[in-house]
Amino acid sequence: MKRILCVPLDPVHDVGIKIIRRKLADRGHHTELLPPDLPMEEVVRLAATQPYDFILVSRTLGYGVAELLSRFNDLLDAAGVRDTAKIVLGGKPITPELAAELGFDHGFGEHSSLEEIFAYIEERPVTVAAGDTRGPKPSITAPYSYEFRHARIGALLETIADRTLAWAEHKSSPGVQRARLRERILAEPDGGGRARLTAEYHTLCEPVIADGNRDGRFPKGVRRITDTELTRLRGLLDAKRPLHPSRIRHTGERPLLFKFLGSGCPTMDLLHGKVCERYGIDGFLIINPSWEARYEGLLHGLLTHENDGTITSLENIRLLRELLHPSTLLTVRGHRGLNTPETVLLAAHAGADLTKINLVYGSLGAGTDPERLTVDGLEAMRIAGRHGMGFDIPGNDELSGVPAYKSLAGQLINVMLGKRLGAKAILKPLFCYGPHIVLNGQMERNYVDYNAAKVRALRAVADVPVWPGEPIAFMTQTEERVQSANATSYHAALAASAGVDAITIASTDEAFSRGPITIASRIDSIRAVTDAYRFMGDASFAPTAQADRFTEEMVRDIERTLEAVAAQPSLPHAINAGLLGSREDGAYPGTFGKGSVTA
Amino acid sequence: METTALNAVVDAVDIETYLLCSDAKQGHALALQIGREMNLGEVDVMFEEFDGYGVRLRLRKYVHRPAQRYRWLEQEAP
Repeated sequence: MKRILCVPLDPVHDVGIKIIRRKLADRGHHTELLPPDLPMEEVVRLAATQPYDFILVSRTLGYGVAELLSRFNDLLDAAGVRDTAKIVLGGKPITPELAAELGFDHGFGEHSSLEEIFAYIEERPVTVAAGDTRGPKPSITAPYSYEFRHARIGALLETIADRTLAWAEHKSSPGVQRARLRERILAEPDGGGRARLTAEYHTLCEPVIADGNRDGRFPKGVRRITDTELTRLRGLLDAKRPLHPSRIRHTGERPLLFKFLGSGCPTMDLLHGKVCERYGIDGFLIINPSWEARYEGLLHGLLTHENDGTITSLENIRLLRELLHPSTLLTVRGHRGLNTPETVLLAAHAGADLTKINLVYGSLGAGTDPERLTVDGLEAMRIAGRHGMGFDIPGNDELSGVPAYKSLAGQLINVMLGKRLGAKAILKPLFCYGPHIVLNGQMERNYVDYNAAKVRALRAVADVPVWPGEPIAFMTQTEERVQSANATSYHAALAASAGVDAITIASTDEAFSRGPITIASRIDSIRAVTDAYRFMGDASFAPTAQADRFTEEMVRDIERTLEAVAAQPSLPHAINAGLLGSREDGAYPGTFGKGSVTA
Repeated sequence: METTALNAVVDAVDIETYLLCSDAKQGHALALQIGREMNLGEVDVMFEEFDGYGVRLRLRKYVHRPAQRYRWLEQEAP
């Protein structure tokens, strides 16, 4: 038991020291608290009346305070108090270094944990790693049964899956063939065998990809990361450690928080990623360049790229996996373009945790032919299933003008197909102010009801994880920093209220389209969400009764949409017929890879 | 490699300020002029809002873009 005198040497701020005093008393120490703003001479007189072990002084800093504290220390010295007591300074901006400069034995500030204070007072080592907030890697899919609660919708999805799988049986594509070759290359122990298989792989690639892999003649703006750059990056990340890691969620373990990584350069991505980890981000989605999706074949090697999108080579994904924290979740986008099965295969081999597949959105919003993406996507789901990798289904087709119920119906088709092929899906309703919503006025009164209804509708239909994205608050954010941060934080608070599993959050420069996202803007939005979660705690938003009506309508419209899809011979037929997003909605079936599906 | 503050900027410098001006056009011109006067060269205007008195601004100057030679990597690496 220590004898401790608590001294709020401040005219106003004494809350912190009161809290610490109570906690120390709870631990069995003898504590006394002086009234705030006593004259220094009186404090010193009282401190000298008993042989205290510690004098805890609380004081905010300002003009002239350093001189005041220095004089206070001199008075304590002169009174003999320092012969028995250690003098400790606490306050928001205080660090141990600053306290030492001011003549104190130790100092604690806003980043100090209570455990650090207790350990110092009790003269023992810190037993809990201060601020180490990263636990084991979480699983998003494990808690869910993937059963359909809505029997009719479940039955319709079974029909659609039966027909689509039957249609795709015995069909192949260059994308499927490359993925199978790549699997053989990865398993081939012999160098000569690998070279032979790689040459065969290149016959299935477009020249720009084959040339890059063979001769280093890469597309414009792409180059190899040099050995020196790599050594320096490893050295930099090895030398630095996160100081006072923070936690975003105030209560509970959900939602997990994700950010995009896709500056084009893995080095830049990694520095951004490490800083985001320090601020509590749970995972990242690697976003590839749009041109990568349009070419047959993938570039190999550690590559950097001047424009948006980080190249999803095996080596790039491995580097990100290796240097991010082991508990950080990593998702690799696979559903766009002509390389979906191979991308999922590489993601699995590189140690990524999740991939991203949406056969509907990938055929509408990203330009791939529906037949090609269905054949490729089903193979990708098989690969994901074999490697125990879940996949998320982004609902960004809403941004083209597709109504939410069609987007959600398309996502549910992916869930059923994944279930049939052994891969667990994650639903991703868009938390956005999308074109269909603007035109039809569902958010005229608030942004809460319709977003909440999307989650409720999906929960009513199936026992599947829900991860709003992508990012949340899409089309509500401007280039203005505070507005953007606020929009993200409100949507994040709504997502937490809705009990979702994860969210993807933007940066405060997300709406700025003329340059890459910056690290400071990433921190802005994370801090905003952290503050919103502190504010909300375990309380929640209360949607109005309109949310119930939206939910009923949405479930009914999903059912109606799936009725129409189930009447078609296959999913590609339904997409081409506009049943999951029509030309009137603003969605057009893609053409990349058209005619490349083979029997 | 000289250790400078700009070399240590990971990606960009944002400038947030409010300028008194007579109209939106003048506000925009002054926004661009700020970058030059601060020896940052051309800056991007991310956000500008004229409110009758002046213009609220968010400006950005990229120091290191992806795939460039990062001077922070050279001066920071052990």
